[in-house]
Order: sequence, then C-alpha cells, then structure tokens
Amino acid sequence: MRKGSDLTDVAVDLPLGALAEDLASAALAMARRFSDGATLWCIAPDWPEHAHHVAVEFVHPVIMGKRALPAVTVPDVDPVPPLRALVRSGDLLLGVGRADHAAMRESMRRAGVWGLETVWIGAGHRPAPGAADHVLWLEDEAADELATYTGRFVLLYHLLWELTHVCFEHPGLLKTVEATCTDEVCITCSDAAELGEVVTVASDGDVTVRTPEGLSLVDTTLIDAVQTGDLLLIHAGTAVERVSAGQT
Amino acid sequence: MSPEGTDFLYPFIEGDERDTEGLLADLARSANGKAVESRRLRDATLAACRDQIDNLAADLAERLGAGGCLFTFGNGGSSTDAATVASLFARPPYGRPLSARSLVADQAVLTALGNDVGFELVFSRQLIAHGRAGDIALGISTSGNSLNLLQGFEEAKRRGLLTAGLAGYDGGQMAASAAVDHCLVVRAESVHRIQEVQAALAFDLWVTVQHRLDPATIVTAAKP
Repeated sequence: MRKGSDLTDVAVDLPLGALAEDLASAALAMARRFSDGATLWCIAPDWPEHAHHVAVEFVHPVIMGKRALPAVTVPDVDPVPPLRALVRSGDLLLGVGRADHAAMRESMRRAGVWGLETVWIGAGHRPAPGAADHVLWLEDEAADELATYTGRFVLLYHLLWELTHVCFEHPGLLKTVEATCTDEVCITCSDAAELGEVVTVASDGDVTVRTPEGLSLVDTTLIDAVQTGDLLLIHAGTAVERVSAGQT
Repeated sequence: MSPEGTDFLYPFIEGDERDTEGLLADLARSANGKAVESRRLRDATLAACRDQIDNLAADLAERLGAGGCLFTFGNGGSSTDAATVASLFARPPYGRPLSARSLVADQAVLTALGNDVGFELVFSRQLIAHGRAGDIALGISTSGNSLNLLQGFEEAKRRGLLTAGLAGYDGGQMAASAAVDHCLVVRAESVHRIQEVQAALAFDLWVTVQHRLDPATIVTAAKP
C-alpha cells in the first residue's frame, strides 16, 4: 500500500476533482470560525449516524494532540426548531442529506439568517446555487442512493476534519477581516437588503427580527400582518417583503 | 501521531502568513492524496477478504433468511458505522429488509449498564437479554482491542450466536479471539482510512447477502 504522500507520480489520479477544492475552502472557513469560538452543529435528518460521527470526530479527535472542538449533534427529524434555540451567530452548521430534503433546505436557509456558515454534504443532484455556503457533493450516478452506506460520506467528513486541523497550523491565515462601515459596503447606507426572522410580534405591533447582527425592531407597515418565524426582507430597518411564512 | 497527519504541516512561528491560495492548494492536494489512499486500501482489502466476505455472507443469508437478527455494535465513530450497517440491513434502499439493529441506539440502556455494571459489559449484557441461537453479533473496532466488543463476542458465542468482527491494524485481540468466527481486517495504520474501508466492507457484505437471498437483486457498488 502506497502512502498518500507519494503524490508526484499519481498527479493524474485525482478522484475528487473539483470537490478537493471545495473541501479545502470549507476546511479553512471552519478553522476560521472555530478559532473565533464557533460551535459546529451537525444534522442529518435521514441518517443521524452521520451527524453523530461528525460530532464525535471533532469533539474526541482520534489523533493524539489535536484540539478537541465543540461539535453537537441535533438528531431531530426537523432540526429547525432546536437549532433556532441553540445556535449563536458565528457558529457553523454541517448537514448530511439529499438536495431535495425539505428540512435540510430549510435548516441551511435559516442558519444563514441566524449568522451561521453552512456546509452541506450529499450525493446525486446538487442543491440549488446558494443553498449553502459550502456544498461538498458526490455527483456520479452511483452515489445517489448508496453513498450513505458505502463509506463515501465518511471519507468526505474525515477529510474535512483532517484539513481543518491542518489549517490550525497556519494561525496567520485564520484571522478574519472585521467588517467596517465604509460608504461602499455599509448595509444600511447602501441598497443592500438582508433577511431577518421574526422573533416576536408585540401587542403594540412592534416586530423584533433576528439577523446575523442580532435582534432589532423593524417597521412592517409596508407588508401584511407578520407572524413569528416569518422570513422578511429588510432594508434600512424596514421590512419590504415577506419571503416565506414561519414554521407551521 | 500517524504519518499522514504530518504530511502537509508547515508550521510557521510568526502569525503573519498571507499565502491563503498556497494553503488551499496544499489542502486540495492532501484531500486527493488521502482519497487515492482510501480507494487503494478499499480495493486491496476487498480483494484480500473476498473469500471471507463470501463465507460470512453465506452464514448471514442463512441465519437472517431463517428469521435471525443481526446485532451491531462499536464505540465512538465505529458505533455510528455499526448503526449505519443495521439501518442498511433493516431499511435498505432496495432489496429485502432483514432483522438488524444497533446495540448503541438506546441511551437509557447504555448508560444504565455503563453506570451499574461497567462499560466493558454494555454489549454483553444486551446480548444476554436479546441474543438467541440463530442470531448474529457484528462488532466494529479499528484497533480490534475494545474490551466491551471482546466481552460481547464471548457472550454471543456462549449463546450460540454467529460472531463477526471488523478490525483494523493487524486485527488486534479480535483476530486472535476464539470467540470470533469471522474476523475481517483492514490492514492499515490510519483510523480514518480503516473506518472508510470498514464501511465499504460492510456494504459489500450486504450486497452479497442480498444476492444470495435473491440472485435477481442487482446493486451497483459505488466507487470512491
């Protein structure tokens, strides 16, 4: 058995293709978030074993001397309600599941609104562009139904763990650039709008929303009555559109 | 520390690195190298274990076909892989569902036994309660030395169950134990690569069992 380090003469044998670069980007992003104090939340509504495997990988490293990192499995079939209560802005969400899985899609989307960076592992048809920050996908036809059983998902999250720990050897590359308010990028001064999730609707009509920046009051006079859990498109403190209804 | 863990470490004393692109290229190269290693190990192991897989699959098909139950168990990551095997046998994407369940699924049972009688007995005590002649005990360990697995095999053997183990490295005590009827060893030094190939072995085992029960069942083995 040759070792993985004998790479110079197997350069043409690249089984991962573009997925190798996706893994690299995801690992660096995860290392950056971990070094800023993130917790990794793990979900796999159809195959909770994978969520448990990812969490134990990070919490209890198999290689002596590697840092134990905070990772937690949320085993619920619908992870959105428990995640809503548990996560903090800056955390990470890693999910293993199909692209057409409604609870996976909703978890990824809500996590973005709550300020999490998201990683989605799966096989078969890819999720829609933008469905998660990092999409680590096995696209060959044989993978569709079986990747969960053949060890191929296990390989992907093992690689993610291994690469994340390599990033910790490069502390200079883990610093994140703080967002600053300049004329070009300030979200309230520019035309940019962002999503917020309705947290409370007070009896006097005050509506509080949650965004990656935290909780804030928004003006909802432009749209119909809102309910807890609604996703609103917010521009300069004003809700301009209801994007989707809250959880039923 | 395993050798592949250090292949791409370039420790910098100063914290002022700027070469993000260089790091990303190294990471991608490392990922591909490990994937190649995993695939080679899988192919070599499946070839080396072919007869063992076929023999074990024949025993499994006979017992499961006659109504026996497959009990799977392991610790840590191997416990999740054991749960995946049980789920594959019991709720397969296609083919015939067979009685199988994981002995790590119930946290009340696991913590009761761990607290009251000791963690080394968490599987053997469950096998006393559930195991019957005609059933199968399948334990998964990378070292092959987990005490609670070895105790589980001893108990299963005493009760007339068929026993099978997946191990890594040189097979450890599992390979030497007279209580283990079938021991399939992934001969490697990396826990991660061993687990990936153990999953592939278990999948191949399920494919072979399904074929024995119904030769018309066609399953495409996936490539890594």
